[in-house]
Amino acid sequence: MEENGTELQEGVSAECVYSSARQKLENLLNKSMRIRMTDGRTLVGLFLCTDRDCNVILGSAQEFLKSTDSFSQGEPRVLGLAMIPGHHVVSIEVEAESLQPAHGL
Amino acid sequence: MVMKSSVEEDEGGWGLGIPEKMRNNANWVDITQDFKGACKELKLGELLHDKLFGLFEAMSAIEMMDPKMDAGMIGNQVNRKVLNFEQAVKDEAIRVKDLSLPELIGIVDTCFCCLITWLEGHSLAQTVFTCLYVHNPELILDPALKAFALGILKVCDIAREKVNKAAVFEEEDFQAMTYGFKMANNVTDLRVTGMLKDVEDELQRKVKSTRSRQGEQRDPEVELDHQQCLALFSRIKFTRLLLTALISFTKKETSAVSEAQKLMSQAADLLHAIHSTIQYGIQSQNDTTKGDHPIMMGFEPLVNQRLLPPTFPRYAKIIKREEMVNYFSKLIDRIKTMCEVINTTNLHSILDFFCEFSEQSPCVLSRSLLQTTFLIDNKKVFGTHLMQDMIKDALRYFVSPPVLSTKCSLYNNHQAKDYIDSFVTHCSRPFCSLIQIHGHNRARQRDKLGHILEEFATLQDEAEKVDAALHGLLLKLEPQRQHLACLGTWVLYHNLRIMIQYLLSGFELELYSMHEYYYIYWYLSEFLYAWLMSTLSRADSSQMAEERILEEQQQKGRSSKKSKKKKKARPLGKEITMSQAYQNMCAGMYKTMIALDMDGKVRKPQFELDSEQVRYEHRFAPFNSVVTPPPVHYIQFKEMSDLKKYSPPPRSADLYMAASKHFQQAKLILENVASPDAEVNRILKVAKPNIVVMKLLAGGHKKETKALPEFDFSAHKYFPIVKII
Repeated sequence: MEENGTELQEGVSAECVYSSARQKLENLLNKSMRIRMTDGRTLVGLFLCTDRDCNVILGSAQEFLKSTDSFSQGEPRVLGLAMIPGHHVVSIEVEAESLQPAHGL
Repeated sequence: MVMKSSVEEDEGGWGLGIPEKMRNNANWVDITQDFKGACKELKLGELLHDKLFGLFEAMSAIEMMDPKMDAGMIGNQVNRKVLNFEQAVKDEAIRVKDLSLPELIGIVDTCFCCLITWLEGHSLAQTVFTCLYVHNPELILDPALKAFALGILKVCDIAREKVNKAAVFEEEDFQAMTYGFKMANNVTDLRVTGMLKDVEDELQRKVKSTRSRQGEQRDPEVELDHQQCLALFSRIKFTRLLLTALISFTKKETSAVSEAQKLMSQAADLLHAIHSTIQYGIQSQNDTTKGDHPIMMGFEPLVNQRLLPPTFPRYAKIIKREEMVNYFSKLIDRIKTMCEVINTTNLHSILDFFCEFSEQSPCVLSRSLLQTTFLIDNKKVFGTHLMQDMIKDALRYFVSPPVLSTKCSLYNNHQAKDYIDSFVTHCSRPFCSLIQIHGHNRARQRDKLGHILEEFATLQDEAEKVDAALHGLLLKLEPQRQHLACLGTWVLYHNLRIMIQYLLSGFELELYSMHEYYYIYWYLSEFLYAWLMSTLSRADSSQMAEERILEEQQQKGRSSKKSKKKKKARPLGKEITMSQAYQNMCAGMYKTMIALDMDGKVRKPQFELDSEQVRYEHRFAPFNSVVTPPPVHYIQFKEMSDLKKYSPPPRSADLYMAASKHFQQAKLILENVASPDAEVNRILKVAKPNIVVMKLLAGGHKKETKALPEFDFSAHKYFPIVKII
């Protein structure tokens, strides 16, 4: 009986964690997102899609070169729809306004 | 300049390394850990996405850090700094003055290679504009290099303008994008050729001053200097001639075309000197990454990397210097050949010229120059003749329609004039399109020929109506004369030529499988060539009728003088003969294929999802829009080609024998051609061995072998030599 109870509880809490995680991510959809990649480049675009491996798809993405590269730094390159493999994601940032305090990440 | 980031801006302090646009948007909050943590909670294979965003959209995303898709990656992999022209000059990575002769020769040769690579269909950004010097020739202080950089830009600019105007390219032929590069538009053509000429004269003086004198002990250093001066001189002169020739093509007079032809010949004379001095130029230090790109002074293959669209061929493989001279020599030959078009007068011979020229699969530049020479901006042929007049001449030459004869009462009849004029005007566009189609690359031509049949079908319909109306008029004016199927015959002739060309080009493009050969050759021999020959002979008899009337009128005038006209060669005689030969070749191939099939020597596909009928109908689909000749449907074809209607039905040996006779017949016809051209000889090369092979097969040679026969199209594009192994 007891064992069953904990299992059930764990099940419920796992379900809970899952749905709140999903909720968090869903709140970010279509928000502007800035992702730094392992090679130092930064992409800015709208967050459209992700999965368990943290592969991210950005819409209307623009590519910015790394800060050390002085060449044509200011001008972003337009990429459009871009997928960043999870293992190349170094950091993820969003604009402060897009984080609603109620759900806050 | 394209490189918008200027040096000043860079110094403005990018301490944070965050570009302006992003910085202005203020508060970015790092959510990396939260985000990654949240992602981990998702189930395997689960996608979190917006309602409007599905897998389908996800498919079209480019994958970052994938070497094939991510153009931005290359720049990051290279361990050197990618500098633009101004930066490179500032960092003294490249010099704009005091360049040595070997450096100049090397830069010029690499530029030539880039130019050729561009002409072969790569983007300017990855070819010519990998040379930093052409980004801003104003900054160059060395007069030779400056003149050359401007010259190359002008060559590119004119070539691009010509190719764009001719509009006979597709994405596989040519990249018209300029990415906002400046093409030396602030300097006139004349100024650039003048600058090149000045440099040339200066170099020539040096060449002369270092020339060896008789009896003089030759200083090897002076000799080297002499050779290098000569090398640069030849290159600068070549550039000037090429540019001047291209400028000539922008003029409207046909005399300019002959001028261009002369200039190209002069340029060709320099190629030997250029070829023998390639080794004097500095070589590229071999690249560590891929080795494809010449990394040498003044060149930066990655300088434009960020201008390219996200999905784009990553590398333009620049051709080697050794191949450069060879390419130029072929290019010059092509341009010289295409200049000959101005010596053709008749629309039919112009069409033939375009067909023949296209058979060599020429480059996009020569194809475009041919187009723009044929129809100049003012919509006149060679800038002087109206297309309508050309069409009338073609009609006169082909069928001699009474309406266009000065001796006919219709000639001055205003109603008849209206009819014929409006018909000729309607012809103008389809014929211009037809000529333009022959400017496209071979593979695209086929598709476009299929489509233009619709326009010719409409024209055919109109031609028949005009013929009927003119016939009605003529009956009232001169009851003894006829105007039947004159214009119709002419349009039908072109219709058939297009259809034949459409089918034949399938062999050249290797579209047909072996098991399809038999119905293609059947359609050609039994149907299209049969129609073509009857059309030609109808045109021929129409010509004769007209000549007879003319003769009669002349005799009436001065009956005393006896007309002792010699029997002239018929104008269409050669074409009729050639059609007979083609028909026999096709018939021979058809019977060969049937017989091989009977002997089980044609591999057939397992028809599961389709059938022979589906393929047949697909092959002849464009003919459905044509009314005359009516398309032969599969069922009709099967009935018409049924061997059971003969008694006894022929065996394979009989068919081989018949095929051999057809090839024999073709050979006989061709051997009697008065002045055999290359085409006659090419067909003969196929006909002769096939006669023998068919005879052997008829005699049961290798009847038991299971090996499939081979079809060797190397001697002729449309007819193979059959080989039994």
